[in-house]
Amino acid sequence: MTQAAPVETPRPWLIPPYGLLVVGLSVLVVVLLGTSLAIGYVSLDLTQAIRDVLSGQSTLAALVLIELRVPRALLGGFVGFSLGISGAALQGLMRNPLAEPGIIGISGAAAFGAVSVFYFGLAGALLLALPLGGIAGAAAATFLLYALSGRGAGTMTLILAGVAINSFAGALTSLALNLSPNPYAVTEIVFWLLGSLADRSLPYVWLVLPLMALGWALLIGSGPALDGLTLGEDTAKSLGFDLGRLRFQLIAGAALAVGSAVAVTGAIGFVGLVVPHLLRPLVAHRPGRLLFVSGLGGAALTLAADIAVRALPIRPELKLGVVTAIIGAPFLFSLIYRLREEP
Amino acid sequence: MANSDWRSSRTVRCRRLILAAAALLLAAPHVRAADAPAKPQRIVSLNLCSDELVLRLADPHNIASVTWLSRDPKNSNVAELAARIPVNHGLAEEIIPLKPDLVIAGVYTARTAVAMLKRVGIPVAEIGVPMSLDDVRRQIREVAVLVRERDKGEAIIAQMDAGLASLPPASRSARPRAIVLNPNGVTVGKGTLVDEIMRRAGIANVAAELAIDNYGQIPLETVVANAVDVLILSASRDGPPALATEILRHPVLTALADRTRLVVLPGRLWNCGGPAVVEAIERLRRVADEVRGEAPAR
Repeated sequence: MTQAAPVETPRPWLIPPYGLLVVGLSVLVVVLLGTSLAIGYVSLDLTQAIRDVLSGQSTLAALVLIELRVPRALLGGFVGFSLGISGAALQGLMRNPLAEPGIIGISGAAAFGAVSVFYFGLAGALLLALPLGGIAGAAAATFLLYALSGRGAGTMTLILAGVAINSFAGALTSLALNLSPNPYAVTEIVFWLLGSLADRSLPYVWLVLPLMALGWALLIGSGPALDGLTLGEDTAKSLGFDLGRLRFQLIAGAALAVGSAVAVTGAIGFVGLVVPHLLRPLVAHRPGRLLFVSGLGGAALTLAADIAVRALPIRPELKLGVVTAIIGAPFLFSLIYRLREEP
Repeated sequence: MANSDWRSSRTVRCRRLILAAAALLLAAPHVRAADAPAKPQRIVSLNLCSDELVLRLADPHNIASVTWLSRDPKNSNVAELAARIPVNHGLAEEIIPLKPDLVIAGVYTARTAVAMLKRVGIPVAEIGVPMSLDDVRRQIREVAVLVRERDKGEAIIAQMDAGLASLPPASRSARPRAIVLNPNGVTVGKGTLVDEIMRRAGIANVAAELAIDNYGQIPLETVVANAVDVLILSASRDGPPALATEILRHPVLTALADRTRLVVLPGRLWNCGGPAVVEAIERLRRVADEVRGEAPAR
């Protein structure tokens, strides 16, 4: 199964112009950002709140908007973008549609990195330590995964390597939480395994945004080389692409994006699987073009899921990963079903 | 077939009889111990709240073990007393070798250990969560009777009541509005000891108005939007990090500071039924008076 030889080639007239796709998805993200700001636990006169913020008055409405809803909406967008673009990039690199940060253990390892830093007070000493811990975990898992399965390896090898990394990282996360000096820590594994945007604050947004943006830039920059790679390794080399550099760039980019995302919201699964899968036919199966639109799609899906956890009448609110899993698991099953013919 | 079935069922019945007889024989000494008026001499406590009552009431040499939580002065009012007593972590394996003649446990904690201890015939008393000051008095009395220190119990209750009586009556007119915020965003509503403590301190509990019974989660948005005068954080904000306590450090709470007074009232003063509740009322009373002083128009 490679993207160079898709089973179902969509008919050309079904493929929208790339620009239109980007604009359409951007509009969707903006609408969802607005909805995310409008929805919450208290009814808020949004226009009045915005007026208060602009006139510099710190009314209660302005505080709810700026300190609680804005960070939640922004983080939802940024984290979703990171997960979507990383899923698309990893799938291009490993040439395997199942390569998703959650399934193959990168998110789990990032959670372990962040947990080790957070619960033992390092994040209190140096705020940047939290995303750096997540990035270190994500990078270690990605390198390990690549060493274990390699690019173009069988789906079975990739998934088994992912299962191994995932369960090991999960166990280590639980161990770290057990060893934490705070008695509340033990019960917090749910957050790290399923993720949530509840009660996150603005300082976290500014903390992780630069690191994520650096990751996005590295991933988008690798687009042309990813397109070249679909023609086969030798052809890509003859076209002048440095494959060693490409691998490093993609692994570093995915680690930066996923690691810093997981460090502040926990591991939100399936976003990087569903979104590239849905959008791939719309960009004519070109992995380079898939990157940016998958980022936008990931942002839209994560924002929509976070709106759902607040709109659903279930309290305390669901973890975000529960909703994305309910949406995403059928896609995973259908992919596995189609891959069952593979040797 | 039928014959052998009958025989095996008879063997089973015989075995059951023997077991029952053995159980009776084994249980007998415990029954006698429980009936005798002798003071328990190897008391074990399995709960932070019962620890405090046992440590305050019983003689230290009669206490075999209390929980490890009681040694932490941040969580316990009697950490100094606990420092000299061996600690347990609520595990049956730790408790049984101590051969306790009285185990005092909470109704919600260390349930597996409690079930095991009961099974091996160790006398276990369980104390509930006090929902009012009357419950606190009742609980002190109950534990005092169990450890055969009735007089000490009455003395503690008398001291508590004297402390309560010395407080001037709370102002009914201008009661500051407050919300209690525990780790994990949990607040405390109607029908609780915390609610009564707030009432006696002359503070209106907004969570009770929001129809939150007992303990329930409250979104930060609701906390902010309710424009309370006082926000009572029930845990210190500088402990070891956890997401549960991270919520108490959320920047929106700091941003509220110019209209809402942030008060840290440690859980050890008012989560358990003990004489410390008087200090909780006193501290909140002072806060209420100060808030009223700042805003006399309200």
